[in-house]
Amino acid sequence: MLKRHRNFFHYALDCLKKYKTRTFVVLIAFTIAISMLSSILFLKDGLEREAELSVSLAPDITVSYLQGGRVLLLPSSYIDKASEIKGVVRALPRIWGYDGKGLNTYTVRGLDLSGVEVDYGFSNLVKKGRFLVPEDAGTGSIVIGELLAGVLKVDVGDTMILLSESIEANRFTVVGIFSSETTIYTADLIVMPIDDARKFFKIPEGYVTDMIIYTDPEVPVDNVAAELSTMPNARVLTKDILLRGYKAAYGGRGGFLVTFWVILLSAVALVCFSQATIVGRESMFEVGLLKTFGFTTLDIIEIRLIESLILGVFSASLGMVIGIVYDIWFKAGIFAQSLLGWAFLPAEFHMPVYVSFPSVFSLYAVTVLPLLFATTVPAWLNAITDPELAMRRAAA
Amino acid sequence: MTTMRKINLLPLVALILTIMVFALCFINELSWAALEQSEARKTVREVIGLPSIALGTNYGATRNPLLEVYSTALYDVPGGYCYIYTTSFIGWPMSDPNFFEKVPGFNFTAMKG
Repeated sequence: MLKRHRNFFHYALDCLKKYKTRTFVVLIAFTIAISMLSSILFLKDGLEREAELSVSLAPDITVSYLQGGRVLLLPSSYIDKASEIKGVVRALPRIWGYDGKGLNTYTVRGLDLSGVEVDYGFSNLVKKGRFLVPEDAGTGSIVIGELLAGVLKVDVGDTMILLSESIEANRFTVVGIFSSETTIYTADLIVMPIDDARKFFKIPEGYVTDMIIYTDPEVPVDNVAAELSTMPNARVLTKDILLRGYKAAYGGRGGFLVTFWVILLSAVALVCFSQATIVGRESMFEVGLLKTFGFTTLDIIEIRLIESLILGVFSASLGMVIGIVYDIWFKAGIFAQSLLGWAFLPAEFHMPVYVSFPSVFSLYAVTVLPLLFATTVPAWLNAITDPELAMRRAAA
Repeated sequence: MTTMRKINLLPLVALILTIMVFALCFINELSWAALEQSEARKTVREVIGLPSIALGTNYGATRNPLLEVYSTALYDVPGGYCYIYTTSFIGWPMSDPNFFEKVPGFNFTAMKG
């Protein structure tokens, strides 16, 4: 019994060799389609996973101030009001914004150093120099990202002059450069004491950009958010909403590209169907002959299934390996730009790539199943024809 | 002694490539697990409180702390709403059922005439 199936396997291999054009067309078409599709899918999954990871450690609630549907500065009095709400463990002010330098925009973050606990172990945050300490307030000390240090060619101890929106030159001294391990978050970041950021952005006393809230794990976040929502003009964003935002931002774009490539994959499957039909006519005589020798319809379908399975698994695996290599070593080039919109991707930046088991299985499914269908149906149509008739038709 | 035919290499290479894909998948899962445990990344996220990844973008909606997505939805000119990001997750706090259902006595009232 086993020998019979082994013979079918060898016969299927001979068919792959005999119908070289079909084998070549199917392999090339499916490999290209799968490599593109897998590249986008792994990249999209990577961005979503990174978003989930980052949001998991973000503040529980962020509160900004809306007036007329537009975001304005938040009065500092809101911080005291929020602190009194049941379930709020800490309410911290934030001052942050953007600063243009050359063609790019960098993120400036003011840090309330009195609210930062010292047991975080800041030594692993920076690769050079040191992290900010409370004594740095008002001294113009900053810690910058690795990308920024590279672009501006600055090092620890160097002085940087940043031009604010009020067209004032502000002098800062680099005291530390963030470690490579945190590049994904800190590449373009400038961190300074909160008072320095207030001065830099010219934010009046009594106002902050927004506030972050850490809640008591025993009190549901939504309950605290509901209480915070009763404050006039407050826009309350929970971690969950932020995560949904991320998924909409990256998942939406990824979904568009995946749909595009799935359509292409369907077109490729149709090409395979067409190839199988053409070859089916060529192999009609052969099928007739096999049936005369006692092969059943099922035997012939089994042979075609083995052919399709080998081709499908080969092209899907090769396509995925190419997709992974393209994402990791070539930084996904075109697709990264499409997924991230107008994002500026520096050479130092490595895109997060997530090769998950469900995605891999899905890719095998979308490759192998259409291929099995596209090649088996013509084979079945040939196989159910009367052998004599089939050979006569083929000879005609 | 029989020599292996070239065509026999096709299923063999297919098998090797499949093993390679699953090996890469496994290695990738391990590297993500290690990232989740990275102390430096945890510290930077907790201390600096920036939930978004650094893309150095010129488009506010894709750079941290992601709140820009929500701000962009409201946009900068009258009537200039960003239609990419509005709808599903953008809304006034009071319009979110999660919130208003928990606020006692919250209701909208209208009077005719």
